[in-house]
Amino acid sequence: MSYTPVQLLENWILRQASDSGQAWLDTQREAVATGDLKSLYMAFGFAPRKIGKADLQLTERDYNDAAEARPGWMPHTWTIDQAARVLLLMSLPAEDDAAFFVTLEKLFQTAEIREQICLYQSLQLLPHQELFDDRLSEGTRTNVKSIFESIAHHNPLPMELMSEQAWNQMVLKALFIGTALDPIEGLDRRVNPELARMLIDFAHERRAAKRPIPVELWRVAAPFADEIALEDMKALYASGEQLEQSAIALALVSTASDEADDILKTNPEIAKRAESGEITWRDIAQQAY
Amino acid sequence: MKFIDPHIHVTSRTTDDYEAMAKAGVAAIIEPAFWLGQPRTNVGSFQDYFSSLVGFEKFRAAQFGIRHYCTIGLNSKEANNEALAEQVMEIMPLFLAKENVVAVGEIGFDDMTALEEKYLRLQLEMAKEVDLPVLIHTPHRNKKQGTYRSMDIIEEHEIPPHLVVIDHNNEETCEEVLRRGYWAAFTIYPKTKMGNERMVEIVKKYGPERIIVDSSADWGVSDPLAVPKTGNLMLERGVPQEHVELTCYKNALAAYGQSGQFEESDWLTPEPIDQRTLFEGNSVLRGGQAPRVDKPEDDRIIQ
Ligand SMILES: [Zn+2]
Repeated sequence: MSYTPVQLLENWILRQASDSGQAWLDTQREAVATGDLKSLYMAFGFAPRKIGKADLQLTERDYNDAAEARPGWMPHTWTIDQAARVLLLMSLPAEDDAAFFVTLEKLFQTAEIREQICLYQSLQLLPHQELFDDRLSEGTRTNVKSIFESIAHHNPLPMELMSEQAWNQMVLKALFIGTALDPIEGLDRRVNPELARMLIDFAHERRAAKRPIPVELWRVAAPFADEIALEDMKALYASGEQLEQSAIALALVSTASDEADDILKTNPEIAKRAESGEITWRDIAQQAY
Repeated sequence: MKFIDPHIHVTSRTTDDYEAMAKAGVAAIIEPAFWLGQPRTNVGSFQDYFSSLVGFEKFRAAQFGIRHYCTIGLNSKEANNEALAEQVMEIMPLFLAKENVVAVGEIGFDDMTALEEKYLRLQLEMAKEVDLPVLIHTPHRNKKQGTYRSMDIIEEHEIPPHLVVIDHNNEETCEEVLRRGYWAAFTIYPKTKMGNERMVEIVKKYGPERIIVDSSADWGVSDPLAVPKTGNLMLERGVPQEHVELTCYKNALAAYGQSGQFEESDWLTPEPIDQRTLFEGNSVLRGGQAPRVDKPEDDRIIQ
């Protein structure tokens, strides 16, 4: 049988929380359900003190239930206070979308770092998601990496809501601040020529500054690589480090163009490993960061 | 030796200060919400300021190896703008429960007006509601009266003195503050409040119990190293090491530890790196700048 996100969060908390924490949360959710904003603001702040900050202990089964309840939902990094906070938000009356938006924005504007992480992850489960596309873009302008990652990683909303311009900026910024691309949901689905051009320019800047080029860049740039980009890839494929060679092989394999095949032939051994699935983007991301 | 500076306004200080403080042994600091040198004209300025105290400044301090905590309150000077004060009181519940908030403060008197008293009382009640200690700012002018009046009011609200730090004391006020059972804090602030030679004499005279040393360093001519400098001067002038540890570290820990949000283990045994909050991996550096490396570099070269 399948569960709703609320049921899943309730079950997960029930497994781990103390009786007093559980009772506190129930009382607060009731108050919030009446539209009492002061209760929401205070309870949102006090959740870690009342219910703890432990990681949620989730099984494969739980992850599958989550993905079934809300496609794209990956609560792999969630903590128990985060689950409690999301339940509080889900208790808030939401018929009036404008009022709901104002209340959430108030929380965003006054949130500390862990709260912001929670809020950005919570949106995927809340109503009126379509009102928050500007908020997501605003969040990616942060210079706190963990907040950026709460939007970019394991979060289906950027893929679902962001304009192409905002999406491209998010991907470019991920590379810029040295965070992985692989956990971005919908990464391969939303590649586009403009993004590839930005990434290729970025690769050139890095070469000029004698700084390394992030290896995941080629995954997104390769499908639209121009002549110069292919030259770059050819050079790196010949002389780069092993991780770079693997990444370029994988990128070229997926483009299936004649030029790509010519480059791959110059190092057939790595090409074979890329074709056979022995190398994956997930492995590359894990080794790179 | 490790130090706590339990009263410093680092929002107005530079990263050089953070580096110097960490090097001098300052492990944790508390930044009380106070005024910015000029009055704020709308509640949004307060909201953004409070947000920076619970968010970005905590993050920035961590970049330099310093644990940052804060107190949240409507300060006495700005309590005199009643329309604004009302709005600030409304947003305070959004901030008092944040994880690094260790007290309601700094609140108290400046001109000793009726409005200052009104908001002092309202905030004392708020502190009771959220179960937090209180940090009291005592006025520059008419200090003795202001200090005594603050304590009278706290007693009317039945807040026990062990939950209250009275700050900016001097030779004139500290005896009564200690006698009534409060924590007595002293601001080592050049030229105006208290010099550190005077501070050494106070510790020699009254002993270390419930005495707290801080810098209040802010946007004025002040010294973010005031606590370690005073601690070292005490040692040099024959104050026993354990008295230095109490006045420059342990007393602050005991007083603000009552919030449940201020624990030595936070900085002595920090939590293992956590991918979600990963301070080490975050950066205040602009793109491409190298992170801090702990070895001398050729400072003519900018990489
Ligand atoms: Zn101050």
